[in-house]
Amino acid sequence: MSQIISQPAIRRLVKQWLREGKRVVAPVQIRPDLVSYQPVRSADQFLLDGFIRPLNSIKEVVFPRHEQLFQYRVRGKQIDLLPAPLPDIERIVLAARPCDAAALPILDHVFNWESRDAAYNQRRKLTTVVALACMEHDAHCFCTSLGGGPDDTRGSDALLFDLGDDTLEVRCVTDKGQNLFAGQTESSTRTAPSVPGPERQADLQQVGQQLEQAFERSDWAAWTNRCLGCGACAFGCPACHCFDMVDEGGPTCGARVRNWDACQFGQFTLHASGHNPRSAQSQRQRQRIYHKFHVYPQKFGELLCTGCGNCTRNCPVSLGVLPVLEAMQAEGA
Amino acid sequence: MLQPLRETCRRLLDDGTVQVVIGYGQAMRAVEPYPVFITDPNDVGQLVWNEQCRTNLVKYLLRQEIRALGKPAIVVKGCDERALVVLEQESQIERSEIVVIGVACDGMAEARCEVCDAHQPRFADHTIGHATNKEQSAERRYAHLAEFQERPIADRMDYWKAELERCVKCYACRQSCPLCYCQRCIVEKNRPAVLDTSPTLKGNFAWHIVRAFHLAGRCVGCDQCSRVCPEGIDLRLLNQSMARASEASFGHRSGTDPQAELVLGNFSKQDQEQFIR
Amino acid sequence: MNTAASDPANGEFEPKIVAYVCNWCTYLGADLAGTNRLEYPANVRIIRLPCTGRIDFNLIVKAFEIGADAVLVSGCHPGDCHYTSGNYHARRRWMLFRELLATLGIETERVHFTWISAAEGKKFQQLISEITSTTRDLGPYHAYREICETCEV
Repeated sequence: MSQIISQPAIRRLVKQWLREGKRVVAPVQIRPDLVSYQPVRSADQFLLDGFIRPLNSIKEVVFPRHEQLFQYRVRGKQIDLLPAPLPDIERIVLAARPCDAAALPILDHVFNWESRDAAYNQRRKLTTVVALACMEHDAHCFCTSLGGGPDDTRGSDALLFDLGDDTLEVRCVTDKGQNLFAGQTESSTRTAPSVPGPERQADLQQVGQQLEQAFERSDWAAWTNRCLGCGACAFGCPACHCFDMVDEGGPTCGARVRNWDACQFGQFTLHASGHNPRSAQSQRQRQRIYHKFHVYPQKFGELLCTGCGNCTRNCPVSLGVLPVLEAMQAEGA
Repeated sequence: MLQPLRETCRRLLDDGTVQVVIGYGQAMRAVEPYPVFITDPNDVGQLVWNEQCRTNLVKYLLRQEIRALGKPAIVVKGCDERALVVLEQESQIERSEIVVIGVACDGMAEARCEVCDAHQPRFADHTIGHATNKEQSAERRYAHLAEFQERPIADRMDYWKAELERCVKCYACRQSCPLCYCQRCIVEKNRPAVLDTSPTLKGNFAWHIVRAFHLAGRCVGCDQCSRVCPEGIDLRLLNQSMARASEASFGHRSGTDPQAELVLGNFSKQDQEQFIR
Repeated sequence: MNTAASDPANGEFEPKIVAYVCNWCTYLGADLAGTNRLEYPANVRIIRLPCTGRIDFNLIVKAFEIGADAVLVSGCHPGDCHYTSGNYHARRRWMLFRELLATLGIETERVHFTWISAAEGKKFQQLISEITSTTRDLGPYHAYREICETCEV
């Protein structure tokens, strides 16, 4: 037996969540050729099928692109620091792709490593993730190479499967997911057939071995020299999490804020002295690959990549993780 | 088209005229052609030419990684070529140090190609193929902008609020632009900071005003910024409004005349406006 | 500038106007208005810069960011620039910049450009009175202030 729910029933649920003041984030068609996770304002606005992969990620729900850490006010000789209040809005991510959801447990490591990030953990606690299993993939998808797949449940509280004719199968993974759909589903004998994922495209074992000795290789330039140094890969990536902290404001009031940052920017490692330890773009690309497939796994035992392929989709020149790994593999160990 | 292109490139590499060819290549599985840098004459087979060679490659002439490869030959379309003209006017490239391979283009299946008047490259050293340049009225070229301008002012503001709300400041627009070449971009100046680096609506408006206005009278309309924006923001509307004003007020179309003077680097005592009291 | 103060909940709206003026003409014009005891509204905040050629377009944006309801840019008449051509360069710049503002939906009737010489104290007085009154009619610039509010977390 399985649990099913109709599309109209889901939309009614969303309406109710919005009425209850919850924030619902789901794939929204921005333009005919562009789907993006956006806060949903009405229950008929979001997609439950007909898209492959939004061009951004759901990480923003727990790790916003911009957040205030505290505000300062200067009055005479007195300086007041006003810490940012902890987030308190409940969030539901609907129809996230499994490769997005799978990145959340990866992010958890880094935000609970040396210190526990209070705002991140609070948002994480307030967030329920309902993923939607993939029916299709495109040339950039490579989740199966990294242990994921179209129905991967990592990071999801519930997983939906499209059964056609406006019906979805619901598989609850956690208590949060159970609570969300409690009393909303019907029993059925219909279950979703398993969908094949993209064919394996990167041999992780080989990559891992190569990275042991590849740091000093001169080929990095040839593999990556078309990189233009923007942050489209990192900002569309569900797992990239680098940030920058800056003070914004004036002499009397302002705020310390945390913004997304990206390792492909030339300024990312620029020292105050003017020295830049990663002075060439190939070194920045090497950093990105090493961080995802060598440094992070060594530290946390998990890859910093879910194989969603957004880096390549968003790249102005079709670079990204997979093309670099492929170039590496083509060269051999 | 492809064979003569490859042959020209092979010849240039073979006889040592250039050390690298900046062109388009495509891997088996890749969806779109991407920039390749050919240094070995035997690799010219990697070069492709098709209806998806939209990327403007001119930016690579400014990147240190590519400059380090030696004297370049670059594959350009008639529209991309205009960026070369501006870079030369602004003393960013030495034209004699670059070999320009122009490829005639019948359009890249983009809306802007329908009003293109630069199908045939005009300033290339080697031209592959032949296409006819059709005169296009300014009215036609700026129709997209004119339509947008007809909206009431509050609608326009709402439109940009919704669009710029999505901007994450990945700077793909800046990094891809062949005419953005500052060593240190104004948005990266932090002692003191000129504009907010935060991707808030405030910081995003400030950024996109700066980006567009620093291209005022310079933008050649290659639309690379709009094409690469991962959030699909239609930046060409901003660029076009500057371009149309340059054309209307100063008769200047950026990158069409190597002898022309730069719009904002110059002035005329006869400049006519209606708004200064 | 405190944005809330220019838009009190009760009472009449007092527009805030930022005037970027050149050191050699308009600033002296304003000075002349003062020495001649020509009264003009206190809504204007004068910021003196060397030349209109130096007045960066970012300053106009900045003024709106910190809560201005209108901005004035003013310098020497054509032909009178202390540096011979700063105002001609500025004129070109504003000709293009106004187009950009219009495309973005920013209200160009809140951005004023004038030439005021050191002898035109009277013109300065009239101008500030006029801008203050038209801005009062336009009301507070809510549209740009909304842009500058911080985002949700």
